[in-house]
Amino acid sequence: MSVETRQSPPTFRMPAGFNGLLPALILIVLFFVVPVLALLLRSVTEPEPGLQNYAALLGDGTYARVFFNTFLVASVVTIVTVLVAFPVAWMLAIMPSALASIVFGVIILSMWTNLLTRTYAWMVLLQRTGVINRTLMAAGIIDQPLPLINNLTGVTIGMVYIMLPFMILPLVGTLRAIDPMTLRAAALCGASPFQAFRRILLPLSLPGVAAGGLMVFVMSLGYFVTPALLGGTSNMMLAEMIAQMIQSLLNWGLGSAAAFILLVVTMALYALQLRLVGARRMSGGI
Amino acid sequence: MLLDYDRMGWLKIALLGFTALVAGFLLLPVVFIVLLSFGSSRWLAFPPPGWTLKWYQELFADPAWLDAALTSARIATMTAILAVAIGLLASFALVRGQFAGREILRGLLLTPMVLPVVVFAIAIYAFFLRLGLGGTTIGFVIAHTVLALPFAIIPIATALEGFDRSIEDAAIVCGASPLEARLRITLPSIRIGIFSAAIFSFLASWDEVVVAIFMASPSLQTLPVKIWGSLRSDLSPVIAAASSLLVGLTLALMVVTALLQRKVRT
Repeated sequence: MSVETRQSPPTFRMPAGFNGLLPALILIVLFFVVPVLALLLRSVTEPEPGLQNYAALLGDGTYARVFFNTFLVASVVTIVTVLVAFPVAWMLAIMPSALASIVFGVIILSMWTNLLTRTYAWMVLLQRTGVINRTLMAAGIIDQPLPLINNLTGVTIGMVYIMLPFMILPLVGTLRAIDPMTLRAAALCGASPFQAFRRILLPLSLPGVAAGGLMVFVMSLGYFVTPALLGGTSNMMLAEMIAQMIQSLLNWGLGSAAAFILLVVTMALYALQLRLVGARRMSGGI
Repeated sequence: MLLDYDRMGWLKIALLGFTALVAGFLLLPVVFIVLLSFGSSRWLAFPPPGWTLKWYQELFADPAWLDAALTSARIATMTAILAVAIGLLASFALVRGQFAGREILRGLLLTPMVLPVVVFAIAIYAFFLRLGLGGTTIGFVIAHTVLALPFAIIPIATALEGFDRSIEDAAIVCGASPLEARLRITLPSIRIGIFSAAIFSFLASWDEVVVAIFMASPSLQTLPVKIWGSLRSDLSPVIAAASSLLVGLTLALMVVTALLQRKVRT
């Protein structure tokens, strides 16, 4: 800093530069963008140049089933997660803070616990002879153990469990931002609680619900661990199929083509979400 | 009065009951796994016929588990240091920089958080096979730093946005060099953001399964890879013992975070 600049404070603001971004950009370009592009290149060059990998993926009933399963599970998981998360977020937004911090503690504990630990717990809980089946049978609700694992039911339960915190936490922020006065005004004007909910609370919280729901949907589409452990071999999901094509079948062409399809769908939905909330607001999610 | 806690009547009771139910659902697997790790049944019968510590003994008797835990700790620590350092520099540029395309670059740096991990996993696996970095510690650290970077940038950038820059300028007016002002004024003020960044990027690596499954070699296994391998072969209670220790670690991290936040507030 020279003496002249010290005399005029405004010029102290160094044109805070682009340079700080360089390490991050080098890392991301070299070890993220380049490898992903190289992978996509393989999808049109292996085993020979052309689009035959995409033709194979989109023209075959087996693969169509995998795509269908993936969208089905992601949709069901999203809907269930939104329905369960909304009332919890609603309460968390208005609860006395001592009570709320207990619930937040439970949510954080669940979210920070090792992913495999949580999935392992569900594998044991949902087994044929697991606690849930035994409890239901002891209570006389069912006679036969329910098939809760190695199928899409197990995947859905496990995924909803993992996604709930990602939906609840941002939604609390949305609901807290709503001015309670708007609801008091509705009540004063004669609205019933149901009308107030449907015409005020729900519409005002809809941006948060849409953004969170979209995030859950996108995360579910590409999820690997839970479907691989709680799902069955007969109804695979997309991420699992990609891993299998590469790891077991060593079919890089087909695997990278499937990866490209997943990437395009994910990025398109991500772009939609950015338009809904804006890049900055997204950051509040974690 | 749908947003007035004291005047909601029966609706409040119903919603509170539902919230308690969901909290129970979230807590269930965590509590269950800890109880299971002390149960004596090899077949994971619950409630267990008796209580025992033998799964913990088995866990500690097998050096492969400890080895995997140490490998994970080493890789996660290096990842956290790298991600925080790179993320700190990037956050300053993203929050204060005046250059074209800033929002696009921000989006680019956050993309690893959104792209399905499996796509990145096979891409970096293929790439590292060619570079000879597959199955190496450095390969793991690079891949995990890419994944951890968004989790480092978000809390630091958020903290930096909330920091009043005129305080830094005041230090400069009082004779500090710009670097000194940043190190002694700005960094301490955003320390909670930096601390969160360190925890999140540590966890991002420590818990990472998918890239690790592809990258692991017989001689280099992280803890999630070891658990994954055991899960696929059988549901041994030893996994429950290992998992309970991980739950303990999570609780310890939560307590440290809560204490630090309290300390900052007072």
